[in-house]
Amino acid sequence: MALRIGWRVAFFSLALLTLGLSGSALGEDRIFPYPTRESRLGNGLRVISVPFESPGIIAYYTVVRTGSRNEVEKGLSGFAHFFEHMMFRGTEKYPQDKYNAVLKALGADSNAFTTDDWTCYHMTVPASALPKAVEIESDRFQNLKYNEADFQKEARAVLGEYNKGASSPFLILDETMQDKAYTTHTYKHTTIGFLADVKDMPNQYAYSKTFFDRWYRPENCTIIVAGDVSHERLMTLVEKDYGGWKRGNASVEIPAEPEQKEERSAKLKWPLPTLATLYLGYHIPASDPRNPDIAALGVLAQAVFGETSPLYQKLVLEEQSVVMLVASADPRRDPSLFTILARAREADKVADVRKRIENALADAAKTPIDRTRLEAIKDHLRYEYAGSLQSADAVALAVGSSIALTDRPDAMNELYAAYARVTPADVQRVAQRYFASTNETVVTLESEPKK
Amino acid sequence: MTRLAWTVVAGLAASTLASFPPALAGEEKEAVTYLPSSASPLVALRFVLRVGSQDDPKGKEGLAALTSAMVAEGGTKEFAYDEILKKLYPMAASLDGACHKEVTVFGGVVHRDNLAAYEKLVTAMIATPRFAPEDFERLRSEAVDYVSKTLRGGNDEELGKWTLQVELYKDHPYGHVDRGTVAGLKSITLDDVKAFHKTHYAKPALRLGVAGGAEKGFLTRVETDLASLSGKAVAPPEVPRPGRPKGLEVTIVEKPCESTAISLGFPLDITRHDDDFYALAVADSYLGEHRTFNGKLMQDLRGKRGLNYGDYSYVEDFIQDGQSTFPVPNNPRRQQAFSIWIRPVPHDKAVFALRGALWELNRLIEGGIPEAEFEATRSFLLNYSKLWVQTLSRRLGYAMDGAFYGRKDLVTELADRLPKLTAKQVNEAVRRHLKVSGMKVAIVTRDAQALKATLEGNKPTPITYDTQGTPEDVLVEDKQIAVYPLKDVTVKIVPVEAMFEK
Repeated sequence: MALRIGWRVAFFSLALLTLGLSGSALGEDRIFPYPTRESRLGNGLRVISVPFESPGIIAYYTVVRTGSRNEVEKGLSGFAHFFEHMMFRGTEKYPQDKYNAVLKALGADSNAFTTDDWTCYHMTVPASALPKAVEIESDRFQNLKYNEADFQKEARAVLGEYNKGASSPFLILDETMQDKAYTTHTYKHTTIGFLADVKDMPNQYAYSKTFFDRWYRPENCTIIVAGDVSHERLMTLVEKDYGGWKRGNASVEIPAEPEQKEERSAKLKWPLPTLATLYLGYHIPASDPRNPDIAALGVLAQAVFGETSPLYQKLVLEEQSVVMLVASADPRRDPSLFTILARAREADKVADVRKRIENALADAAKTPIDRTRLEAIKDHLRYEYAGSLQSADAVALAVGSSIALTDRPDAMNELYAAYARVTPADVQRVAQRYFASTNETVVTLESEPKK
Repeated sequence: MTRLAWTVVAGLAASTLASFPPALAGEEKEAVTYLPSSASPLVALRFVLRVGSQDDPKGKEGLAALTSAMVAEGGTKEFAYDEILKKLYPMAASLDGACHKEVTVFGGVVHRDNLAAYEKLVTAMIATPRFAPEDFERLRSEAVDYVSKTLRGGNDEELGKWTLQVELYKDHPYGHVDRGTVAGLKSITLDDVKAFHKTHYAKPALRLGVAGGAEKGFLTRVETDLASLSGKAVAPPEVPRPGRPKGLEVTIVEKPCESTAISLGFPLDITRHDDDFYALAVADSYLGEHRTFNGKLMQDLRGKRGLNYGDYSYVEDFIQDGQSTFPVPNNPRRQQAFSIWIRPVPHDKAVFALRGALWELNRLIEGGIPEAEFEATRSFLLNYSKLWVQTLSRRLGYAMDGAFYGRKDLVTELADRLPKLTAKQVNEAVRRHLKVSGMKVAIVTRDAQALKATLEGNKPTPITYDTQGTPEDVLVEDKQIAVYPLKDVTVKIVPVEAMFEK
């Protein structure tokens, strides 16, 4: 089923919902307003429940801490996402048709998605369906079975997914940014993978067995159930159905990205009229909020590029040379990128926009942010989080994101506590630290000239 | 003060929410939907105006949408837009605007800490926009860019869907992209927007929805703050019955692309107001429930054949909500269409995929839904539809839509009606309303002439797989699909640069 991919540009619109980076309940201590309970089976499977008022509905999430980041073997990029598709191809007990029939009878909203760092299987179902959810999910995670013909057909559905994205300039922008900014780390490829590898997927049946055996193991997975759920009842069911799942022992070495020492760039052309796009990337640390730079970078993105920033107001509202201006400290498990995307009305404005962005960053390094504005940013982040947790699904996703990035279910509390501590000097410090031209990748895209 | 009054569907009963569980039940005044929830720290607001792209004057297509943008993304008499942003920013709130065919909806969700300040701002945005020339230039340029760059050159699936919409409603108030045409947008002046707002943003045309942690007195405050809106509404335009396609009327949009996007459909004579709609909803879920593996189209075209990423069907206009799965509320229409969405397929399999969809639809019409499948689909819809109203804002939107159609909200209607429905009734409704001939087809592809020749010549299009092990029963079906007759085909080719120009 499936099949949402966490591409970076798509992420701009989703960012604060899916990162566990959004804010809530306005308490100073814990931004995540719901109590969580956590247990671990002997085989390493972690189980988390988040009971709260959600009459008759639960969200059932399985978080696999494997994404395109784990694709270290050459020629096999995109496999985490492809494998997510295969997880819907059934088992001996529940072949695909029967699995789908169970979900259909429940009226389930069921799907999955893959990002650079994790793969997530999720369903929203009636609370009374918890035993059935545990049964069918534990079955496919332990007993997945598919033949080569099904495998090959699904590979072509993945190619279809690539093709549907290819009519948007954002796919090639993302592919190019990751390819240029990374030389060594697996973030070099996007989640859907290099096109050549996607085309070759039908030939990788044998590897798919290795992939399942390596990563779909209890110690690499977490079950999260949010909504109308009792932890004791959940644990009874989970112990029965997941208890026999054998622990794995695989690991791969994900190569560290060496320090970037020179500016990198790429110029792209688009065959039809399009908005000229400037896409900038700067290496930043992994998104663990225990590193104070992470919260400070989140604030910096708002301070310099948010809708109330002087740069946004000048370029987008006053001069109107730029149609879109967004920035994000991209949340990743490993060292990542701070990205800035500007779409300009005319290609000949791009050089000026770039200069203005660099000047704004230089100014942020030199001049401390006004304290009133800093407080407004903190309020914005907190209220945005409060607005994001409106359903069992959103609550489970927030916990899942936190685990995916940090291996801790409550990192959002740490992050918002860190936001609360950010000072003007912190914002200056990160503005000084990360935006040198030697740490910069510049991708531009513009229309091909008319023939 | 003139009380707000909802006059959209004259003479039809107001919505009631009697069949929601008590916790969700709310009070319903004729112009106001109020779903209080004292436990909620959030408040959702919806302002639904009975004005949409159908109200665009000829030659000024895009006026309704541009007016809504001037409200949602422009200043007020008191504050310039940059000041509005600064006020909304600490609340992490916005006034989201969307102009559809028949209504314009504004809405937002705000923490109740900020409700009073938010209410003052957004009512001023709706009632007393600034109409600043700089906002007008910015928003008109954005709309032109959206049509001429994003739609034409940055999203083939949307391009295909809008091409189908425009073709379905030729010479009809629905017959253009809601955001406008390039020529229409360029001819709109700021005075046009001011005049349109004055005449069309009227109290009798406005319906208010409030859900969550707001006190009842809040409703009166909103009404008071919207008092400057006109008391006289403009009647919506007549919408003539759209022409019925003959055979397969194909529009090929030619552009550089790596795969072929296809949408097809025909106008329907029913809406949620009609009993048959609910029977068709079951049939549609069986044929192509959006973004699930329940539909036959998805199972057969993607699952068994790996043709593409997804294949779905619809019995009313469907607007996708970002990554989400559920239908977006507050897009009510007096006229609906049946449609099939075939997501991009390899160029050499495009006609096979089109034939496959028609073959699948024909099987439904000829053979009907088997009893067991009917039971399963009905059970699915009864449970699944309850997930459509998980958030305050969505619950509110569905409740408000019920009033438009003179029905309860859709979820309640399904809960009331489906248990009484039979497979026979569904299959009869299918035969009354669905057909495989008389279809508009929109195709976005690279080599239009070759495709035209294949379609007009009704040439067989056997499929060749580059994958192994296709089951024998699938190969047998493939032979039928490859020669599925394409009757009375007419094809026109439009270069993408000409799309949505005027």
